[in-house]
Amino acid sequence: MLRFWIFFLAAVLLTAQDGAEALAILKKSCAGCHNVNSMNSGLSLDSKEAILQGGNRGPAAAVIVAAVKHAGDVKMPKGGKKLSDADVATLEAWVNAGMPVPESFVKAKRRTSKHWAFQPVRPKPAGGSIDAFILAKLKEKNLTLSPVADKRTLLRRVHLDLTGLPPTPAEMDAFLRDSSPAAYDKVVDRLLASDGYGERWGRHWLDIARYSDTDGYTIDAPRDIWPYRDWVLRAINKDMPFDQFVIEQVAGDLLPNATNDQITATGFHRNTPSNFEGGIDFEQYRVEAVADRVATTGAAFLGLTLGCARCHDHKYDPVSQREFYQIFAFWNGIDEVDKEEDRKYFNRPFLEIGSDAEKAKQAKWDADVQDLEQQIRKHQESLTENADKDSKLIALRKALVDLRKQKPKLLRTLVMKERPTPRPAYIHLGGDFTRKGSTVGPGTLSVLPPMKGGSTRLDFARWLVANDNPLTARVTVNRVWQQYFGRGIVGTESDFGLVGDRPTHPELLDFLAASFMDSGWSQKALHKLIVTSGTYQQSSQLREDATAVDPENKLLARQNRLRLDAEIIRDAALVSSGLLTAKVGGPSFFPPIPPGALTVTQVVREWKTATGAERYRRGMYTFFQRSAAHPSLTIFDAADGITSCTRRVRSNTPLQALALLNDEASIEFAESLAERMISEVTGSEEKRIRHGFDLAVQRTPRAREADRLLRFVRQQRDSQPQASEKALWTSVARVLLNLDEFMTRE
Amino acid sequence: MDLENKLTRFRTRRQLFKDCGFGVGKAALASMLADGLLGAGQTHFPAKADHVIFLFMAGGPSHLELFDYKPELTKWDGKPTPESFLKGKRFAFMDTFSKDTPKLLGTRRTFKQHGNSGHWFSDLVPNIAGIADELTVLHGVSTENFNHGPAKMFSNTGSVRAGRPSMGSWVAYGIGSESKDLPGYVVLQSGPRGPRGGAALWSSGFLPTAYQGVPFRNVGDPILNLSNPKGVTPEQQRQTIEALRDLNQMELEETGDAEIATRISQYEMAYRMQTSGPELIDFGQESKETMELYGAEPGKSSFGNNCLMARRLVERGVRFVQLYHTDWDHHDDITKPLDQVAKEVDRATAALIKDLKARGLLERTLVVWSGEFGRTPMGEVREKGKIGRNHHIDSFSMFMAGGGLKPGIKHGASDEFGFSPVEEKLEVYDIHATILNQLGLNHTKLTFRSQGRDFRLTDVAGRVINPILA
Repeated sequence: MLRFWIFFLAAVLLTAQDGAEALAILKKSCAGCHNVNSMNSGLSLDSKEAILQGGNRGPAAAVIVAAVKHAGDVKMPKGGKKLSDADVATLEAWVNAGMPVPESFVKAKRRTSKHWAFQPVRPKPAGGSIDAFILAKLKEKNLTLSPVADKRTLLRRVHLDLTGLPPTPAEMDAFLRDSSPAAYDKVVDRLLASDGYGERWGRHWLDIARYSDTDGYTIDAPRDIWPYRDWVLRAINKDMPFDQFVIEQVAGDLLPNATNDQITATGFHRNTPSNFEGGIDFEQYRVEAVADRVATTGAAFLGLTLGCARCHDHKYDPVSQREFYQIFAFWNGIDEVDKEEDRKYFNRPFLEIGSDAEKAKQAKWDADVQDLEQQIRKHQESLTENADKDSKLIALRKALVDLRKQKPKLLRTLVMKERPTPRPAYIHLGGDFTRKGSTVGPGTLSVLPPMKGGSTRLDFARWLVANDNPLTARVTVNRVWQQYFGRGIVGTESDFGLVGDRPTHPELLDFLAASFMDSGWSQKALHKLIVTSGTYQQSSQLREDATAVDPENKLLARQNRLRLDAEIIRDAALVSSGLLTAKVGGPSFFPPIPPGALTVTQVVREWKTATGAERYRRGMYTFFQRSAAHPSLTIFDAADGITSCTRRVRSNTPLQALALLNDEASIEFAESLAERMISEVTGSEEKRIRHGFDLAVQRTPRAREADRLLRFVRQQRDSQPQASEKALWTSVARVLLNLDEFMTRE
Repeated sequence: MDLENKLTRFRTRRQLFKDCGFGVGKAALASMLADGLLGAGQTHFPAKADHVIFLFMAGGPSHLELFDYKPELTKWDGKPTPESFLKGKRFAFMDTFSKDTPKLLGTRRTFKQHGNSGHWFSDLVPNIAGIADELTVLHGVSTENFNHGPAKMFSNTGSVRAGRPSMGSWVAYGIGSESKDLPGYVVLQSGPRGPRGGAALWSSGFLPTAYQGVPFRNVGDPILNLSNPKGVTPEQQRQTIEALRDLNQMELEETGDAEIATRISQYEMAYRMQTSGPELIDFGQESKETMELYGAEPGKSSFGNNCLMARRLVERGVRFVQLYHTDWDHHDDITKPLDQVAKEVDRATAALIKDLKARGLLERTLVVWSGEFGRTPMGEVREKGKIGRNHHIDSFSMFMAGGGLKPGIKHGASDEFGFSPVEEKLEVYDIHATILNQLGLNHTKLTFRSQGRDFRLTDVAGRVINPILA
C-alpha cells in the first residue's frame, strides 16, 4: 500500500511539473465560472497570465487549495460536488510545484462583447447628413421634418443654445434685415467666436466636472479652484481639440514640460468633495475621492456605470471589480493627505500661479526676508554678550516678524501631482477601504482596445481619446446632441452599457462621432454641424400627426421646447433688463442671497454681497457653496457640484414661481426692464408693452397678448392709483419675466 | 413603472385633455405633483400612517445618559476598557483613544423605570419619561460611519456620500402630498447652528426636485420668497397671477406644449401657498395651554416652536416633516451642556406626542426621535477635569411613537456596557424599511432608475421590524 502511495505521489509530481493534468481539472470543474468573460471573484483560469494573476482575494495559489479542500470560508466548486481526493491532491501538488503552466496554454484573451457600444465606430458614409438619418426614420412612420422655425424664434434659440444669452434688439434687427442665404451661418460663426460660447459650453462641462467653490462635507470651506474653471472656458473658446482637452484634464501634469495651464487643467479630478471634519480617518475620504474619479471617468467619457463595480463585478456590463481598481490605481498615487498627522496640508497638492508682477513681488519678499535674516545673523555675531537686550537686534527681529506677516499670497489652484513613491493599490473587498484584497496595478477594461505605450495616467488619458476607443467620441457627441434636443440619441447619456437605452438613430450617432474625430475633435465644428441642420432649425410647434405615433418626439419630427437652465434664466433677465456685466472669469461672485439661505449648514460662511457691476455677472459665476448652494440655482435644478452631472432634470415647481415672482433679484431685474420700457419709448402704453415684450422674449406680442397686458396695466392702476409710473411698469415687467416663454427656449 | 414612463403617460394624457378643453386638463394637472408615483391615494398595501415627523437630534445624543440604563457600566466606572471590546474597532478621534487604553465611564444620571411599560429613562428627560407608555423604544441600533456629516447623510439617504435622495423625498415621490398648497416634505431647524451636511440631507438626489425637502427659514418668511415684493398688494399679486395664467394659456394654444399647463398650475399653487402661509405661521390660533405645553413663543426660533409647527403642518396634509435640533455632540463635557440641550428638547417632544394624541392625529402620524449615532461607553478626556463621550456607531437607542406601532414596548438590546447589540442587530436600513412600511410602501419596490440601476432607499438591505408593528 505504501508503495502504491509513493508511486501515486511520484506520478502526481511528474504530471504536475507541466501542469497539464491540473489545468484539465480546473477547466472541467472551475473555468465554467472563472473565465475571461465571467470572472467570478475576479478570477479567470483560462490563460497563463490570468492564472498567475489570481482573483480579488489574492493570488490563486493562496486560495485554490483551501477552496477545493473546503478548508476555509470559500468552498469550491460552488454549489457543485466536492472534487475527488485524487483531484485535490493533483491540484495541491501543482500549487506546491509553483503552478507551472505550459507555454502552449492559451495566451490571455481579451473579453469580448457583441453589445453595440463596444463595436468600432463606423466610418462616415458618403453623402450622410444629420437630416438624411433623421428623415429616414421619420419616413418609416410617414412623417417628415417640421418647417424651419421663424427667424425670430431661430435667432433666440441659437443664441441661447450657443451662448446662453438672448439676442439684443440690434442683433435681432441685423438678422431680420440680412436676407442673404448665409445670414444664419454668419450668426453661428459670430456666436461660436464670442466669449459667451465658452461660458455656456464651459458650464455644461463644469456640471460633469462637479465643479464647486467649496470643499463639501461638514466643514465646507472655500477652496482655490476657479483657475480650473477659467481654464475650461479658455480651452472651449479657443476650440482646443477635445482629445487634448481630455488629456490635459486627466494627466496634464504628466505631459513633458507641462505648462502651468496644463497643470491647472488637472483640477478636473480635484473637484471631488474633501472631508476635513475632526475625528475622521483621512484615508477613508481619500479612497472615496479616488473611487469618485473612477465613477466620473465612466460617466463622463466612457458612458459606463463603472461605479457599480466598486464592491463587486458589474452586474450587467463587462467590467470586473479588478478592472475598477485597475482604473482606481491611476489616481491612487496622487499626493493627497491620508493621515491625521498631515492635517495641516489638507488641500495638497496645489499649484501656485500668479502674474509676473505678483511673482516679482513674491521674489522680492523672499529676498527681503533673506536679507533681513542675514542682517540679524551678522549683527548677532558682532555682539559679545547680552544679545537679548540689544535694541538693534530687537528691532531687527521685530521687523522680520512684521515682514513675514506680509507674505504675498499667490493665487492657488488645486491640481494633480504624483507622490514621490507610489501607494500600492488594492481591490477593496466589498468596496470597504479597510478590507484590502489582491494588489492591482493600473490598467483598463479588457473589453475595449488595449492601452498603448506604458501604464501611466497619461497613457490612460490617451487611451480614453484614442480613435479606436468606441465610446468616448460617441458619448461626447451624444451629450452635445442632448443639450440641443433635450434627449440624447442614447437616452441614458451616462450609461451605454447593456441595460442602457439603445440609440434611436445608431447610424446618426456614428456619423456624428466619426465626423467629430475626423475634424480633429473640434467641438466648434460639431456644434456648427448640428445647429445648421434642418433638424435643429425646425419649429418646435406640437404636431398632432407626429404626437400620435411618437409621443415623446424621439424621432424629432419637430424641435423640443426646453426650459432654460438655472443660470440662463438669470442671464436672460440680465440681458432683457440691460444690466448684464460681461466680465469673463476670475473669482466667483456673490449675488444677493435671501436671508436664512446660508444657515442650513454647520459653518455659516460670510457672504459678501457684490455691489456695482460685479452684482450683475452671469449666473455661472455665482459662488457655489456645496452645503448651501444659492437657492436660485438649486430651485431650478442646477447641478449639485457633488457628483458628476451629465444631464440636468427640468422640474416645474411652485418654488420656482415664488422665486421669479418675489425674489429680491427678480424685482431688481424687473425694475430695470421697467426703466427701459419707460425711457426707451415715447408714446402710448401699447408701445411700451411692445418694447418690453420684445426685450423679454424677442418678438412682438400678438394682438390678444397686447390686449391682455393692457388690461393688466389698467387693473394695476385702478388698484393703486397713486403708484408711480415706475412701480406700474415694474409690475408689467414682472409679468414679462415670468412668462413661460421667457424661461423657455422655443 | 418608472417615473419617466409615468411622466410620459401624463404628457400624452395631457394632449388628450387639451383636445377636450383646458378645464378638464387643468384639474388633472394640479393633482399630478401631489399624487406621487403610484397615483392619488395609492400605496403598495394599506397604510398604517399618513405622515411622519422625524425629530433628528444632530450630534449624537448619548444613549447611556438618556435611555439605555447600564448599572454594570457604573460598576466598571474608571476601569480600563477590556481589550476584547476594542479589538478591531475604529472610532472617530482615534488619537484621544490611542495614547492610553480608554477608561469606561458610568453615567452620572439617575435612572428610573416609568409607566406600565417600565421603560428606563434618566432624570434628563422627565417629560418624555412621562409618556413612556406611548413610546416604542429601540436599543442596539447600529450605523455605518462615525463622522457627523457622513453619518447624517447615511441616516437620511442610506448612503454616506451626498447625492442620494433623502427618505422624505422617497416618501413624497412614493405617495405624494395630501396638501394642495404646501410642499410634501418640510424641514425645520433649531439649535445654535445648522446640521452638518446642510441641504444634501434633504436633497431629492436623482429624484425630480419637486420632491426635495423645503427648508422653512427661521428668519423672514418660513418659505423662501413667500411674501409679495414690497409695495405689491395681495390684489395686485392676484392680478399678476391671472395675467400670467391667461398669457401662458395663449402660448399653450400656440405651441401645444403641455409643460405650459403644468407651469400655470405651479403658479397657482405658489399663489395658494402665499395665501395660506400667513395662516400657517399664525400661532395666535393656538390656545394658551397649547403654547405652554410646547414651551412655544411666537416669533422665536426654537425646538418648541418647530414641534408645534410640525403638528400644524401635519394637520394641513404635509407628508414628511423633519426637525433638526443641533448640539448633541458632547465630547468634552457630558454634564451641563447635555442638561441644556436635553432641556431644550424634552418638553416639546413630549408635548408634540401628547398633543397629536389628544387631537387624534397620533394614530396616523409616525413620530421618530433619533440622532445619527450614539456615544461611547468609554469616557473621552479632552480637557483636564472634564469628561465626555466619543461617537459610537455599534449601538445606540432611539424611539418612535404612533403611526401603527405597538406603544409601550421595547425592542432590541445592547450588552451590559451599551457597547454592542445583543439579541438582534438593528440597522438604519431597518428603520427606513419600517418607516416606509407604515406608510404603505414596500421598500424593495420603491425604486428609481438612475445611472443604469434601480436605486432604493434601503439599497440592498433593510428588514421591516415586525415585532414592533401593532
